[in-house]
Amino acid sequence: MPAAIPFFSRIADFIDAINKKVGHTVAWLAFSMAIVTFTVATLRYGFSLGWVWFQETYVWMHGSIIMLAMAYTLMAGGHVRVDIFYRSASVRYRALVDLLGTLLLLLPSLYVVAKYTIPYVLLSWSRLEVSQEAGGLPGLFLFKTTMLAFFILLILQAISIIIRSSTALVTGDYAEETGEDFEGGQGG
Amino acid sequence: MDSGQILAMVMLVTICGAMLVGYQVAFTLAGVGVVFALIGQYMGVFDMLFFNALPSRFFGVMTNELLVAVPLFVFMGVMLEKSKIAEELLTTMGQCFGQLRGGLGISVTFVGMLLAATTGIVGATVVTMGLLSLPTMLRANYDPKLACGTICAAGTLGQIIPPSVVLVLLGDVLAGMYSEAQLSIGNFLFEPFSVIDLFAGAVLPGLMLVGLYFGWQVIVALFRPEASPAYYDSSMDRSHLATQIIKVLIPPLFLILAVLGSILGGLATPTEAASFGAVGAMLLAATRKMLNWKILGEVVRSTTRISCMVFGILIGASLFSLTFRGLGGDEVVEHFLLSLPGGTITALIFVMILIFLLGFILEFIEIVFIVVPIFAPALLKTDINPVWLGVMIGLNLQTSFMTPPFGWALFYLRGVAPKRIKTGDIYRGVIPFVVLQLIALCILAYFPQLATWLPKQLFG
Repeated sequence: MPAAIPFFSRIADFIDAINKKVGHTVAWLAFSMAIVTFTVATLRYGFSLGWVWFQETYVWMHGSIIMLAMAYTLMAGGHVRVDIFYRSASVRYRALVDLLGTLLLLLPSLYVVAKYTIPYVLLSWSRLEVSQEAGGLPGLFLFKTTMLAFFILLILQAISIIIRSSTALVTGDYAEETGEDFEGGQGG
Repeated sequence: MDSGQILAMVMLVTICGAMLVGYQVAFTLAGVGVVFALIGQYMGVFDMLFFNALPSRFFGVMTNELLVAVPLFVFMGVMLEKSKIAEELLTTMGQCFGQLRGGLGISVTFVGMLLAATTGIVGATVVTMGLLSLPTMLRANYDPKLACGTICAAGTLGQIIPPSVVLVLLGDVLAGMYSEAQLSIGNFLFEPFSVIDLFAGAVLPGLMLVGLYFGWQVIVALFRPEASPAYYDSSMDRSHLATQIIKVLIPPLFLILAVLGSILGGLATPTEAASFGAVGAMLLAATRKMLNWKILGEVVRSTTRISCMVFGILIGASLFSLTFRGLGGDEVVEHFLLSLPGGTITALIFVMILIFLLGFILEFIEIVFIVVPIFAPALLKTDINPVWLGVMIGLNLQTSFMTPPFGWALFYLRGVAPKRIKTGDIYRGVIPFVVLQLIALCILAYFPQLATWLPKQLFG
């Protein structure tokens, strides 16, 4: 076993730990979102009260979950695969699919996303943009910044996958979806 | 076809192959979209300026109020699953109707319908029912084939019976394309179409399906009594059965009333109704002392993962379709569909068969974001009613999901069924139900009013 493997595995572990922490923290937004949406609806129908910023709060929570927890979901094995062949394939095949997929599909997409969203977010920063709705929330530029976090966290996770899958090609031992966070579960 | 359009067709073939390899669907879509954009740019048939729309598309997904309904419905479903409400429903209903011949099958179908109307998560429903009712049905000496078929069929009802996550997504996609299609043919006076119409439209076809399932259980009980015998578990205390039934039926009925009632009654938007459902599910869990930080933590994490999975595919598919349209692929598809002999009907049948076949390898969500945007715009430019089209697609996919050998529901059930149940039993058992589905599809095809009548009554 090459001597560099433990060093690289530690990097992968560290990245996974970051995304797990981010994911577990952001997940609580789902709870707050339910409560806020419920409150907005109740105030509207029960008391004819409503504020634009209040409604924006739950929409922004939703947007933040998608952007910030996407990499966590990748780490936790939450993204679906068409696994007719993958499921029963050898360790070598699965590791190779993950390695090549990450290099040829995931990273190029992240590059394009980064190339077009960075100027978009910077523009928002330069104006310290606020919500375009009258009575909306300030700090739209902060909300848009979650797009930067989106691809930074995903690039990190891509590095972790590259380390783990190439290690697996050498050692023949691959646990791509590990830990308590792999509880399965799909919508549909 | 110009070379850009040829490239778009190569792209379609590539994506089918690439997904079978087994990399995550969301990133496969995005990656293939980006790679073909770069190839197209190199060949001089694609303008990278198309990608300038990317950030605002992202932002559109992040701020789409309707889409907030998705994590909220998922939250509600996961909460109900973890609070074991479904389990209690199944056991109690089984005791209630199990004493009749065929009664166990009917109660499983009935519970499937209630779960469908509350949780709407197919994987979870099939797994829960497989774990809980399959052992009971086998103990009652049910024909294993009939038992498996009943569970698969009842478990997939969650897609078609509103409120369901997939109908929200399908409705959102169809609504956008419908107005675009109508405007493009110069019709500025079309009646707007929304998710609420689709919900209302799916109610009657969903109930019709449940009726067909019931009918089949009765027929089996009459003509093959040995396949669905009566079940009497003498160890159960039956003295409080009536109150017990009321106790387990109230929670799901209350939720259905709150969620579906407020949407169809025009009181609340789907998102607001979903939040009633999410909070309602928490309250129900609290009444049975199943609401604590540990369970809540599991629920929010599961909700987050499932939602990110859905929106990952949405974002990936939007990158894919950006390139596909940029290359002119949408025109090829439209031209092809409209040039089929027999006009609209043939085009519709073609798309339906295609969706059915793709349902073997793709999940509902993927079909909604990948296949529907490619083929539906051409159909929506004709006089096809969008509500009817949406319900047909939903029913069609539900059928596909329980059709051997690749239906998803069969995989889920296989995963939790005891070893002595042969995979062949599951396949053979589900066939009568697939036939029932096809009958339902034909009925809906001949009587579009089944889907269009209720929305018209409710919303004029």
